[in-house]
Amino acid sequence: MPSLKDIKTQINSVGSTKKITSAMKMVAASKLRRSQEKAEAARPYSSRLEEMLSSLASSAASGEGIIKLLTGTGNDQNYVVVPVSADRGLCGGFNSSINRETFKLVKSLEGNEKKVQLIPVGKKSRDFFNRVMKDQIIESFVDLNVSSTGYESALNISNKLQELYFDGKFDKCILVFNKFKSAISQEVTQQQLIPLDVSNSEKEEEKENSSNAIYDYEPDEETILKDLLPKNVSIQIFKVLLESDAGEQGARMAAMDNATRNAGEMIDSLTLKYNRTRQAFITKELIEIISGAESI
Amino acid sequence: MATISFDLVSPENLVFNDEVGTIIVPGKDGDLGILPGHTKVMSSLRPGRVMVYNEDKSLIKSFFVSGGFAEINPEKCIVLAESVVEVNSLEKTSIEKEIQELENKEGKETEEQLSVAKAKLEAISVNYYDKI
Repeated sequence: MPSLKDIKTQINSVGSTKKITSAMKMVAASKLRRSQEKAEAARPYSSRLEEMLSSLASSAASGEGIIKLLTGTGNDQNYVVVPVSADRGLCGGFNSSINRETFKLVKSLEGNEKKVQLIPVGKKSRDFFNRVMKDQIIESFVDLNVSSTGYESALNISNKLQELYFDGKFDKCILVFNKFKSAISQEVTQQQLIPLDVSNSEKEEEKENSSNAIYDYEPDEETILKDLLPKNVSIQIFKVLLESDAGEQGARMAAMDNATRNAGEMIDSLTLKYNRTRQAFITKELIEIISGAESI
Repeated sequence: MATISFDLVSPENLVFNDEVGTIIVPGKDGDLGILPGHTKVMSSLRPGRVMVYNEDKSLIKSFFVSGGFAEINPEKCIVLAESVVEVNSLEKTSIEKEIQELENKEGKETEEQLSVAKAKLEAISVNYYDKI
């Protein structure tokens, strides 16, 4: 049976853990609001860009150079998978679900005899894949801190990807990231980045086409498209980074909320145990005194 | 007099959004002056100044953009730019320093940055379009 002092120490230590987790929860909550605002602010740009792109996409039949971002290389042997995780832990299943999903994707692609390479973004996925498939990592990006550095960090990744793509290092690029659904739920999502997947905006395209048919293009459609496509890659990455950042804060908030609640429950049950033990001691001492008095 | 709605959007935020009289944007093949009722145009932009005027043709604001796109229709003009700064907030000395540093480096990216920086310098030193 633990002594009263032992229980007291335990209560104190759980208490300080609870303080930490509840502080982390509040920090995450305020960061979440900021990240959400950022994600919100980036939306007009990306949606406009997508609209422009979808109205132009139809004009690009096939071609060399930059247009390949849209049309693809014609092969699908070499894949690059980009898992986007957080740099830090303590956010529930946020990172592990990304790693698990990516791992599954890589295995299934390899099962179909494709060659897969990895560009992990975020410390947690880099560390994970450094352990399990080290030789497939070609580059990694950590400490991005997207909420403070902004667009710059997305540009770095995008430039690297395009450089590799035009060197013919891969044919398809897939992002795996946590899509921000609400403050407490994220959804692991796969998105094909290169070549651009226009199929999901096809409906919009038809609608757009009818109204855009009379646009004048300056200098001409192809030149605009050539400018637009690399920008679109960057902005897609930027969007994903922001979503993932918001998701991370949300996940951390939920995880820390849970931890705080659990710590509270633990303190309650320890306090109960402490009081019971204390009572038992008092009763025991009383019996000793009484029986001592009786025997005289 | 009629107005045209003007949005200036950067990846990070919506920089400007209001009803204005005239806008001048730096199109790739030359500057475009946009008045209400402009025909539908989609243009890519070179690094340069985006000037915004109100209905009586006095300058409201001027921005420097490092390139981007403009989508224009009779009621609305949208400029998507990668980086946007107000021309007033640019400082000549710091840009000159940037140019000097970039000139010592090589590579395709630095070349691009250099042309942007040079355009920046031009943007603060010229004053045509201040009155239209």
